[in-house]
Amino acid sequence: MLPVATASAITTTTAHSSRRPNLVSVGTIVWLSSELMFFAALFAMYFTIRSVTIGQGHHWPEAHLNVPFSTVNTIILVLSSVTCQMGVWAAEKGQVSKLRFWYTVSFLMGLVFVIGQVYEYGQLAGEGHTLSHSAYDSIFYLATGFHGLHVTGGLIAFLFMLGRTYAAKRFTHEQATSAIVVSYYWHFVDVVWIGLFMTIYVIK
Amino acid sequence: MKVQGWLFLLCGVFFALVGVVYWFWSGEPVGTTALAISVGFAFMIGYYLMFTARRIGAQPEDDKRAEISDGAGEIGFFSPHSWWPLFVTLSAALAFVGFVIGWWLFMIGVACVIMSSIGFVFQYYRGHFSH
Repeated sequence: MLPVATASAITTTTAHSSRRPNLVSVGTIVWLSSELMFFAALFAMYFTIRSVTIGQGHHWPEAHLNVPFSTVNTIILVLSSVTCQMGVWAAEKGQVSKLRFWYTVSFLMGLVFVIGQVYEYGQLAGEGHTLSHSAYDSIFYLATGFHGLHVTGGLIAFLFMLGRTYAAKRFTHEQATSAIVVSYYWHFVDVVWIGLFMTIYVIK
Repeated sequence: MKVQGWLFLLCGVFFALVGVVYWFWSGEPVGTTALAISVGFAFMIGYYLMFTARRIGAQPEDDKRAEISDGAGEIGFFSPHSWWPLFVTLSAALAFVGFVIGWWLFMIGVACVIMSSIGFVFQYYRGHFSH
């Protein structure tokens, strides 16, 4: 407000858009930024352990990773982000059956990713690479495991979101918001995985 | 909302500059990683606020001549009263204590987390609020 008195001769109420920012969406982004810093700690751990281990003259990476398998798994997760976005576009238009279809597809693709990761853990554990085997194994399981837990959380969020569309008789604006913030979370988890994949599997 | 967006974007630029200086000065990975990802942290919020600002147009807070009453209207949905967050956090606490005590308690905790989360997510979909 300007430090002058405004009389009725001057219109003080200027025309502005009545649209307000969606607080759920903005809040989700702020929360996701804190999640990013959580993963920053894991990345920092990885790089520290890596530099210390190499400094001690040990081999890095210590485990033999199945890169082709993990690449396929990564592609599935990235594509699930695409199908999730298709769901969001449907939600914005209020097309609830399309939203259900795309979110179910995304859920199944995410599930394939988690199962693939459990399979990969099983293989590594079979080769003797348990959580407490070496510093490399510890950070490998912590970083990918915490990401895997986030993906699992996203799968539960997909189920809750789908449940909400069935729990109400009509598709509301609030449900569209839920669908959009679930997609934000899913894209975020996807981008974090690309970072982890590049760090752990590609750059090593 | 552009001002808020710029606040975060400029923080990101600051983190980037400090990150580069830190890397050359120390050559140490922990702080460098933290600073590098802080850039992403600030840009993420900054970009989203700018994106939202472009989509919803000027807000009352962007106008120096705005009145308090211009900000009136619906802001969002705020749950007036709910016991569910308490149950969700107690269940989560039970599950984490289960890590220490034993797997049986952890599984009970997980079951409680699932039940209370369902209650939390669907509380405005059932009974009096069903629509």
